[in-house]
Amino acid sequence: MKKQVFDVCVIGTGAGGGVIIDQLTAAGFSVVGLERGPYLSTSEYDDDELRNGVRDLVFSPNQEESFYNAATGETQTGSFSRISHCVGGTISHWDGMSWRFRPDEFKVLSTEGSVAGASLADWPISYEDMAPFYEKAEWDFGISGTAGSHSTEGSRARGYPNPPHPYRTASKMIEKGATEMGYKPFPIPLAINSQPYGGRPGCVRGGACRGYGCPIHAKSTTYSVSLPRATATGKLDLRADAMVFELPMKDGRVTGARYLDVKGNAHEVLAKHVICAAGTIGTPHLMLQSLSGSSADGLGNSSGLVGKNLQFHHFPSAVAVFDDDMRAYTGFEGHVAFDDLHASDAKRGFIRGGVVIEANIFTHQPIMHSLALAGSQNNWGAGLKDHMRDFTRTVHFAGVCEELPMESNRVELDPNIKDRFGLPVPRITKTNHPNDIAMSYWFEKRLNEVALAAGASRILNPSIPGLDIKLEEPVSGAEHNHGTCRMGNDPNTSVLDKWCRSHDVPNFWVADGSSMPTNAGYNPTLTILANAYRISDYFIRESARQSL
Amino acid sequence: MSINKDTALSRRTLLRGTSIFGGGLFMALNLQRPLALAAMKSDTPAVFDAAQWQTVEAITGRIVPTDHQPGAIEANCVNFIDKTLANEDAESRPDFIAGLASLDMVCAKKLDKPFVELDASHQDLVLSELESDSAAHWPNMGPAGSVFFELVRTLTIMGFMADPKYGGNANLAGWRVARYPGPRHHKGGYTPAQMVGEEEIITMWGDKM
Repeated sequence: MKKQVFDVCVIGTGAGGGVIIDQLTAAGFSVVGLERGPYLSTSEYDDDELRNGVRDLVFSPNQEESFYNAATGETQTGSFSRISHCVGGTISHWDGMSWRFRPDEFKVLSTEGSVAGASLADWPISYEDMAPFYEKAEWDFGISGTAGSHSTEGSRARGYPNPPHPYRTASKMIEKGATEMGYKPFPIPLAINSQPYGGRPGCVRGGACRGYGCPIHAKSTTYSVSLPRATATGKLDLRADAMVFELPMKDGRVTGARYLDVKGNAHEVLAKHVICAAGTIGTPHLMLQSLSGSSADGLGNSSGLVGKNLQFHHFPSAVAVFDDDMRAYTGFEGHVAFDDLHASDAKRGFIRGGVVIEANIFTHQPIMHSLALAGSQNNWGAGLKDHMRDFTRTVHFAGVCEELPMESNRVELDPNIKDRFGLPVPRITKTNHPNDIAMSYWFEKRLNEVALAAGASRILNPSIPGLDIKLEEPVSGAEHNHGTCRMGNDPNTSVLDKWCRSHDVPNFWVADGSSMPTNAGYNPTLTILANAYRISDYFIRESARQSL
Repeated sequence: MSINKDTALSRRTLLRGTSIFGGGLFMALNLQRPLALAAMKSDTPAVFDAAQWQTVEAITGRIVPTDHQPGAIEANCVNFIDKTLANEDAESRPDFIAGLASLDMVCAKKLDKPFVELDASHQDLVLSELESDSAAHWPNMGPAGSVFFELVRTLTIMGFMADPKYGGNANLAGWRVARYPGPRHHKGGYTPAQMVGEEEIITMWGDKM
């Protein structure tokens, strides 16, 4: 029997891959979706903090990575990136914050000029190019918010489909402090149903979103929105526990994908096009492993940039204790934001900026509050016990600070460490640009001012306004990763073209956060969703013209 | 180039994030990945012998002491640690057992008594020296004092605050201290009025707050 050749093979089922699968199956293409992780049932989505929030046993228990310290030559093994290996991918455990990047965030190089030590770039597309696809994502994913309340946002043709969620006491306190300081707080646009929407129920505000799966599908994910729709078309062959390890090439084109099942048995699928959405770590890792093409440096890597320019976000924080209950254990990680510190201003001692979000990721459940926030003076004994008693009185909010891309920050194949199948693990190298550090400290001071203006009795952070205590260099987050296959118009300085199609391999595409040349000062997922809608739209239109 | 395998050392390096504010907070989530699910309520020791059990119980009692509210001893954190070292944290078991032996050796040489027989202030002194790697006579073999300390500290806090099905947090002692009403994701969540204190929340142990 002749082996089936699918129209499209999609690798990964998260924010990027899930949308591509949905859109292309709806347009009638035959799609095989390969997901390295299992197909979890919602019965596995519990709110056990130890299993989910602390040990991350649900979403990616087998994730293996290494972290390379270029200064010392030391390599650590473990799992560093907060990503999910399961049907639905990392968006399964997101907290739903759904921002449109601002117009200037698509043209950082031309806004700022070049900066020493950084590889700034303009995106090959503008906010105007993305706006219709932001709107599409907002309405498919049922965003709750107040259109027009975010005064510095780019222009929008249409509001949000759902009203905002109510605030809890903690949100109201941040709102009060921010207003006191002259800022303009507003509800975070959230991909969590504030009322029944899209055949899914409204949220009950139970307090386990980020790091958890939603058992009732009130949180919008590709698991809950896109994949059920795609399955219903009959055009999708979805294969879970299928870890792609190679993209075979023939005559300059990719022919499909080879994957291992859970037992380590190899399989191959054939497809006319491959759209990779394995994530900012997984996509370059797979491209670099695929050596059967013309380049010994991996698939689609004539620029030498596959895996380079890895970016995270810095999250400078205020963790503040109040006299009264703040009830951060109700609701979501964040309900309120202000964006008045975002606009780039070199007079502050750094360029770029970020939104400030309520982010009770450690203050909404008791283990992480006790483990992570006590500070070195109170990490055991009577001080720790008192800190535990502050659980319901503590509030955490954070900046989502844009990092400057650096070529030396990268994902590559670890030369020594192999995974359980004997394949090289992805090795992450990451250092800070001086701009990132300056921005982090400046933001931390402003956030602490807001906390005090809100009436906080104590700030748990080590650096207090007026006292320049700097303990250690801030570490950037393990989530919000971007940039390792940047898109651009010049094949010498980018991996993908403006449609996120490889400059080198005409039937190979990328649809995840790795395509972002710079990472903006916002949670990135709505942009990954919108970009996947944009790529799908182009793919469908161009297929109709038979030019693919 | 050197490679640190998944040992208590790399765990400690990652947990260093717990004392850093900023993005470091987010790194703190990267704990070691366990192997199996331990949902054991049995108090029958799985890992510790009787003396080890007593020593660990005494250490946990200094990490989360008893005051006007129960501490780690009443919460049965030693049972949580015993079970997790047999299951999810089995990789840390050799370091943990070696650290216990080193602790008693230090106490015997310095104070002529095992740890459990020291009074609370001397126990705290020894633990402080472990934490700062300044304990005289701590052997070069096995984990550093600070690595062992961080391991016990982390597991004690987990045992105090994790769901009681894991063998600690007895009688919801930890959640009562934190005034955490209990998980609600599957139990109706919270109303907007409860989120701002205009309607009472009933805790798992029946209190109103």
